[in-house]
Amino acid sequence: MNTLTTPGPGEQLMPKYIRRSVFVLSIDDPQLGEKAYASWADAIILDLVKKPDRDWQQDLTSRMPAAIHAAAKGGADVFVRINCDSAAAELEATVFRGISGVVLKGVTAADDVVTVAERLKILEASRGIASAALEIDVEVNTAGAVWHSLEIARASERFGVFLINEPELCKNLGMQSAPNLDFDPLEYIKSQLITVATSVGGQALGMSYPLGLTQENAGDDVVKKAVKRARDTGFKGAICSHASWIKFCNEGFRPTAEEAAYYVKVIEVFAEGIKRGMASVPIDGKMIDVPVDLRAKLYLKWANRAQARDDEKTKAHQ
Amino acid sequence: MNNRVARVSMFVTPTNPRFIDKAWTRGGDVYILDIEDSIAPAEKQRCRTLIRESIQKANKGGASIYVRINKPFVDADLPYAVWPGVDRIMLPKTESPAEFKRVHEIILRLEKERGIPPGTIELYPMIESALGAVNIYETLTAAPRKLRSVGGAGGYDMAMNLGIEMFASFDQYAFPVAYVALAAMALDIEATGGVFVPNPSGRVDQGDQAAIQAAALHAAGIHHAGALHPNFIQPLISGLSPTADEITWANKAIETFDKLTTNGESVGQFEGKVIDKYENDMAQRTLDWAAACAAKDAFKASALSRAQV
Repeated sequence: MNTLTTPGPGEQLMPKYIRRSVFVLSIDDPQLGEKAYASWADAIILDLVKKPDRDWQQDLTSRMPAAIHAAAKGGADVFVRINCDSAAAELEATVFRGISGVVLKGVTAADDVVTVAERLKILEASRGIASAALEIDVEVNTAGAVWHSLEIARASERFGVFLINEPELCKNLGMQSAPNLDFDPLEYIKSQLITVATSVGGQALGMSYPLGLTQENAGDDVVKKAVKRARDTGFKGAICSHASWIKFCNEGFRPTAEEAAYYVKVIEVFAEGIKRGMASVPIDGKMIDVPVDLRAKLYLKWANRAQARDDEKTKAHQ
Repeated sequence: MNNRVARVSMFVTPTNPRFIDKAWTRGGDVYILDIEDSIAPAEKQRCRTLIRESIQKANKGGASIYVRINKPFVDADLPYAVWPGVDRIMLPKTESPAEFKRVHEIILRLEKERGIPPGTIELYPMIESALGAVNIYETLTAAPRKLRSVGGAGGYDMAMNLGIEMFASFDQYAFPVAYVALAAMALDIEATGGVFVPNPSGRVDQGDQAAIQAAALHAAGIHHAGALHPNFIQPLISGLSPTADEITWANKAIETFDKLTTNGESVGQFEGKVIDKYENDMAQRTLDWAAACAAKDAFKASALSRAQV
């Protein structure tokens, strides 16, 4: 076991998942495999298209295994986006070996998650998937999902991530979606979802204002800056509206090399202090004590896990 | 003594004579005797044995005394922490009503054993994780023990829990801090958090930063801030006390409102500002706070002069 990347006994990983970049692809995309492979995303969400001119359930069932295989080619975790209002039928048609979980859209109450969790349990048993392996992530796009976020996050052990869909959430809240404010109108909601997800050991994915709303291909510097702010807000990754975001999300939603070097220094200096009977030592005017030392160790492990995830994807590309 | 006034509290390590022996000269309203994070594991037992005498040392200047215990060691810490002269026990990393209630019960037993009126020592849940924040209302109602104020839900531990780097230029704790403050206010407990003051440098020893912080808190009606360095004490005490202008205005607002009510009116104007019941109540609060601060300052001055003899 690698102690630099895996949890010790009773230790909770922070973040729970290394999922910095999430890229959405349609299973109808003829270049699904190529795009997934080229993206270097940590996770791919497969979007369903229900074709009205045929039995959509049978159609999806026949095509899903190949789509999952194609999406995973570059080493990404694969999820399927499920709509709450037709969850049972969609789950039946899309849950196969190879997916890591589902992203539920349209959730407004904890019961929505409970119902899907029960269905997943049955499908895991019938389709050769390890018990309790499938994760439930929740795409937040309604006031109801925000208001009930704590109950939703606590509804199932399978809960992993809140993903914020800002354009739809703004519409649901009746807010103008023009990005012309000098503050983030969703700041409190974002903080709420991050806090709630963290309180159950999960995490939240989102982007900072205004990029989370405009979802535009705004240029490298803008994306880089937005990712930095999103990370400082507490997000652990983002849904990437453009493939060009992925690189910056992979680099930005993790401790930087400079930060990792600083954590090493903190750990060393604090250990020296402890040897001298001091539990509080200064570095550059900042006080280093037990929580700072713990944080350094935790974040260093985070940096190492992110590197390990990159190594996995590199291997998948060889 | 008037323990309501806690404009600034500063952590002090009982094991370090340089800090504990001088604390009373610094002028703080509150000193927090720490057994937790500023004490090395190997020093914790020695620290526990020093708490009782440290109370007498630290309160010589009239300050209130709190004790911060270790959550994993409440059974070991509390018998050394609950003494006459202690105003508040601080329970770090509080996350659940059950653990809060358990600590309350231990304190209650110790109060009875040690001749302290049961329930008089405050128990303060330090909210330092997301779980602690979302459970705050249930925690605050878990035990029938008075609490004058509560705040927090930021800081190192919360940053670690949320996986963020501190000292960004924007409010990284918008929800947890506000949620804790709202829960407090819903329970008629004074909220001591809720205002974001940028400190991108992360330094804790610069008095001008303390003055900026005090101004922001004061404007929001918040009366408390923490200090990690003595340089923060005086700027916070000054900045969190009502100014002479505020006291003058409050007296005039109350006088104006009295005249209005005598004439059977409820809304009027003074110097271009609307005076109504709300303004009257706000003015009364300013005067109450001014009186409390003046009493605390007089008590501290008296204690200090006795100690210096």
